[in-house]
Amino acid sequence: MKIWHIILVISIAGLLALFYKGLWGDPRAIPTVLIGTQAATFSGPEVRTGEMLSTNRFHGKVILINFWASWCLECRTEHENLMALNRRFSPNPNFVMLGINYQDRLEDAQKYLQEYGSTFDHVRDLKGTISIDYGVYGVPETFVIDQQGIIRYKYVGPLVDTGYTHLTDDILQPLLEGRSISRS
Amino acid sequence: MFIEIGHFCVVLALVLSVLAMVSPIVGLKTGRPDLVRIARQAVTLNFFFVSIGMASLIYSFLTNDYSVKYVMATSNSKLPVFYKVAGLWGGHEGSLMLWVWILTAYSTLVVWLHWRTQPVIMPYLLSIQSLIMFGFLAMIVFLSNPFERLFPVPPDGRDLNPLLQDPAMVVHPPMLYLGYVGFSIPFAFAMAALFSGRLGEEWIKVTQRWTLFAWMALTTGILMGGYWAYYELGWGGYWGWDPVENASFMPWLVGTAFLHSVMVQEKRKMFKVWNLFLIIVTFSLSLIGTFLVRSGVLSSVHSFATDPGRGLYILVFVATMMSLGFGTLIVRSGKLRSQIEMDSILSKESVFLFNNLFFLVAAATVFLGTLYPLLVETLKTAKVSVGPPYYNAVFMPVALGLLVMMGIGPTIAWRKASSDNLRKNFLLPIIVAVLTTAAAWLVGIRTVFGMAGAMVVSFVATTIFVDFAKISALWARRHEINYLLGFYQAFTNNQRRSAGLITHIGVLVMVVGIIASTIYQVEKVVPMRIGDTIQLKNYTIKMVGLHEVSGANWTAEEGLFEVYKGDRLLTVLKPQKRIYPVSETPTTEAALYTIHLGHIFLTMPEVGSDHVTVRALINPLVLLVWIGGGIMGLGVLLNIFRPRTKASG
Repeated sequence: MKIWHIILVISIAGLLALFYKGLWGDPRAIPTVLIGTQAATFSGPEVRTGEMLSTNRFHGKVILINFWASWCLECRTEHENLMALNRRFSPNPNFVMLGINYQDRLEDAQKYLQEYGSTFDHVRDLKGTISIDYGVYGVPETFVIDQQGIIRYKYVGPLVDTGYTHLTDDILQPLLEGRSISRS
Repeated sequence: MFIEIGHFCVVLALVLSVLAMVSPIVGLKTGRPDLVRIARQAVTLNFFFVSIGMASLIYSFLTNDYSVKYVMATSNSKLPVFYKVAGLWGGHEGSLMLWVWILTAYSTLVVWLHWRTQPVIMPYLLSIQSLIMFGFLAMIVFLSNPFERLFPVPPDGRDLNPLLQDPAMVVHPPMLYLGYVGFSIPFAFAMAALFSGRLGEEWIKVTQRWTLFAWMALTTGILMGGYWAYYELGWGGYWGWDPVENASFMPWLVGTAFLHSVMVQEKRKMFKVWNLFLIIVTFSLSLIGTFLVRSGVLSSVHSFATDPGRGLYILVFVATMMSLGFGTLIVRSGKLRSQIEMDSILSKESVFLFNNLFFLVAAATVFLGTLYPLLVETLKTAKVSVGPPYYNAVFMPVALGLLVMMGIGPTIAWRKASSDNLRKNFLLPIIVAVLTTAAAWLVGIRTVFGMAGAMVVSFVATTIFVDFAKISALWARRHEINYLLGFYQAFTNNQRRSAGLITHIGVLVMVVGIIASTIYQVEKVVPMRIGDTIQLKNYTIKMVGLHEVSGANWTAEEGLFEVYKGDRLLTVLKPQKRIYPVSETPTTEAALYTIHLGHIFLTMPEVGSDHVTVRALINPLVLLVWIGGGIMGLGVLLNIFRPRTKASG
């Protein structure tokens, strides 16, 4: 046996083992373990101003967190809805909305916001730790955190059609009115 | 009834594939050539049996026989006839049938074409091809049976996925499979060479045209898939680094490395183990691609229904083929030492070596990006996705390096390049490259990739031009003819090399298209009402209407947009937002207008009650991507069908 024989055998065996393990997972299944747990706090610089933002500041409010990236085409389809959502709920002092810029280049993200406009703050996920804390596996993903800092809702994919109306009417509206929400 | 005949024929083919796998080896061990001949007949019969299976399915599609479960799941009475035939490969089971059918067709051709000339390796070849055939036929018969019946018979079918109802769908999968499956031929020859101990250059010379054909088919398939994604998915890009795109790109990269490195073995008898390794990797990656698409291991736009059982089967099959391939290579590699050492770093051999390393690094990059989400999920149950930024940052520099070598490789000398050789071939290209880069800077190209692209493309283009000019001049002088005739004679005298250069020109054209359409893409996404206009560079796009239209199996809202340059009306674009009622799937149909080899590209991602969201793009020079692909294909065709009598190499 030469050294390259051993390397070859080990790497093929490892690859096959990985594939085997992968068979038993569903790539589209999203871990929902986070729902009902305390949301991780985070901080980071704002995309446009560079000012440091921290979730500690928003304690006691309903927070909507939206993960996005400038290279993400799905994010563009939900952009209008995010703006509408902010228009509708931001008059309520108990509501705050944050975008989290995911795996992006600063100039691209800034260009994106400049081009499409945005009325709420966006935090840069500098080390990728925010995404890891929230188990983000792709963008866009949206989370709702209640007044007690508990994650109450998670949505994967662009907020359009019923995904959007469900979030606004069945999740945010009741939460802000102090009513209970049905888990979905 | 017909469908049962088809089913029966496929089961027969499965039985025959076992026979064709075992009998040549028994024949070889017992010294009975008739047993080898039996395998040949079995493989040939298999082609006919699987053809009957295909025909019976197509017949069921055309006659709307929804008692066949597969037809029910992928067709509908309102589906246009065109797509009923293509519907055959619109789902998992049927596309496996297509896979096997192509394999039987290839195998039959190979066996009959090489029967006389390759008597020693033929038994092994038959056995290996039959093993692959057996693997896929068993999957069809036991796990993915397209001939299954349904009772009670539903009144209508569930319809073919609307995204697949596109002319490209008719050609894209067959082309891809011709590529994937085509690599099984050099693979089988390589394995046969390993088993039989005929480890010279013969297997490489015999399979050279087969490999080229498979490579061309795979290239065409990938490019057609890109074009389909470009206008059908409506995101205006042709490549998204989706896991399934990557699955077809990885064998392409390693296959391309193989195509190049075999030349070193032919000329210099080096890289023997390496070439065997490359072809085994290429074919393994084709199989892994199949596994990734059909097992539901990775999330992708292409995924078929997820089923761990099927996934496990394919995995076992992939593991078998890989163990067989690499195992034999390891056992036999002792006999395969290249006696010849590399003479100099400045030589064609070493450029080929670097070419190979770069192709492998590129493939490894894509491999890592594709599998990283799976790896992370396995290790710590987290979900990640790897986006285009990773690939752009890691893959692009490697691609540029490959392009540079594309300029150096064809003209640098074997063994050791003299400084005279280097000066003659590369001084002018370097000067041109520097001047072009400066010119690019002056006309306002400031991005790193834009400038690097201009430099590299002009360098390689000049080397090819210098090369063609030199050989034309040489032939014109030697035979006292004019330059044009000289070029023609020089070209045909060493057509393999000249055709390769044509393929390289195609690559350059494509690279220009990729760079221009990526860096200089202009995009706007805006809500519009009738009467609104948007400005996109020099073009004004005005929304003038929105109305309903309908087709055979869909209804749509169609927008009317006038495109102006200044005051001049260029065209009226009609993007649609379609609904296919049977499957309740919406699709976005893009509208395109071609200007200067680029496109104005319009889609309506959303149609609301009082406004529509419009996505407007200018993709400059984007057509060069496919024109370049066409030139590459032409180069390969000239190579495959070169006259046999002339000198090669």
